[in-house]
Amino acid sequence: MSASADGAAAIAVEGVSKRFRLELDRPGSLKEAILRFGRRDVRDFWVLRDVSLRVRSGSFFGLIGHNGSGKSTLLRLIAGIHRATKGEIHTTGRLSALLELGSGFHPDLTGRENVFLNGAMLGLGRRQMAAAMDDIIEFSGIGEQIDAPVKIYSSGMYVRLGFAVAVNVDPQILLVDEVIAVGDEEFQQKCLRHMDRIRAAGKTVLVVSHDSALIRELCDEAAWLDHGRLRCTGDPNEVVDRYLDHVASGASEPTLTARD
Amino acid sequence: MIRTGLMLVRNFAERETKARYKRSALGWLWSLIKPLVTVAVYSLVFGVIYRAAPPVTANGRAETFALYLFTGLVVWNLFTEVVTGSMQWLQGVSDLRKKIYFPTETVILGGAVSTFLQSVLEALVLVAIMIGFGNISATVLFLPVALVLVAVFGLGVGFVVSIFNARYRDTEHLVGIVLSVTFFLIPIVFTPDLVPEEAYGLPVRRMMELNPLNAIVAVSRDAVYFLEVPSLSRLATAAGWAAASFGLGLLYFRRRSMQISEEP
Repeated sequence: MSASADGAAAIAVEGVSKRFRLELDRPGSLKEAILRFGRRDVRDFWVLRDVSLRVRSGSFFGLIGHNGSGKSTLLRLIAGIHRATKGEIHTTGRLSALLELGSGFHPDLTGRENVFLNGAMLGLGRRQMAAAMDDIIEFSGIGEQIDAPVKIYSSGMYVRLGFAVAVNVDPQILLVDEVIAVGDEEFQQKCLRHMDRIRAAGKTVLVVSHDSALIRELCDEAAWLDHGRLRCTGDPNEVVDRYLDHVASGASEPTLTARD
Repeated sequence: MIRTGLMLVRNFAERETKARYKRSALGWLWSLIKPLVTVAVYSLVFGVIYRAAPPVTANGRAETFALYLFTGLVVWNLFTEVVTGSMQWLQGVSDLRKKIYFPTETVILGGAVSTFLQSVLEALVLVAIMIGFGNISATVLFLPVALVLVAVFGLGVGFVVSIFNARYRDTEHLVGIVLSVTFFLIPIVFTPDLVPEEAYGLPVRRMMELNPLNAIVAVSRDAVYFLEVPSLSRLATAAGWAAASFGLGLLYFRRRSMQISEEP
């Protein structure tokens, strides 16, 4: 990982495969498990196969692909939520992830308590989080509801608070999965403006999206995942074009995966 | 890494403490009322109805069965609450763990810290009663030792059963049964000398003595009831079990905990 022409990799994914073991008709109890011992109907799904990619430090990297192509799984592997079945993933610096609605919020805790809990998960102390709290409340536009349990939040509020936390904990790497599309127009604009600030600060961002326009606009580099395999990486316009051609040709039929 | 872990333990401990008595008027007083009522009921049954004679305390009195009982219950309660709590604490964060990575053992450690503090309150009541009773000495310092040992021992068990429980919810029920049986396999409501050497061809006294919890309960009895310094071999046995349980339990937990995010 020398500082060559492409710069150092903030995220290095090396030969990663991920298998989900789906137990069809899975025994729900010990009794069933014992009765059926040795007759388990287990089916393996390889959601990712031998994926390798490097995300340069300070770049915006886009991941596109059809539903169930393994994009979100790859993001979860990078975030450390799942462990790769094969291969290795290396990241450098604090990593903050925004995966789907209200990533990492506990429904019974208030917004404020969740902010502290999230901070602790990312290695930030109470003092640091208290210092960031005003910015987080302001950015999210949650207002006084910050002291209400997040289970009463609307889905928009969830996303706004999640985004506000993720970008205000000063991450070196930010993983974003679709979420920006969930907020209203105003919030989307706010997020995109904030993305520019993140870029200026030299952070690394990995975005997963169906929105090819967003990938073209935002990213320096992109990759296309198709049925768990990496089809191509490179210039976002080229990658998106190839992906859209492929979709137009009707060759990409979604298949069942453990995620969908 | 360690700093992050400690912060999470603290966060989870605070959350557990807050959640426990949320929306209850008496709040933490419940953590005293419950054990005191238990002591009262067992004292009625075993002390009054069965007229079980407690061993003589250090100040030469033997009329209060409740004190003998309470000394054992403080330790036992902490054990069961850590073991059953572990399953609930892990279950409580299973959705969260699917969305964000954090070292999952911290939620169990945090819950245990919260439970431990509650049992310190219980222990303080016990010590206060002992002072009122005139049966106190510096050996009381071994009471916190017994509490730490039983919490650590219970954590090891909790780590293992919580992983089982994530897969098979039967575990919860099974553990409940095993715990209620175990309660009567160690001398809490009876004295060790009431147990015969042999019954049904089994060396029952010896079996009881081999139970790790027996050694820990004995440490607490030494500390506040008999006011003796626990023997080195007793302390070593208790500490050995606690360390082995915790070490093996944590090892197992860490090997399996990544799978929690993949449980449907």
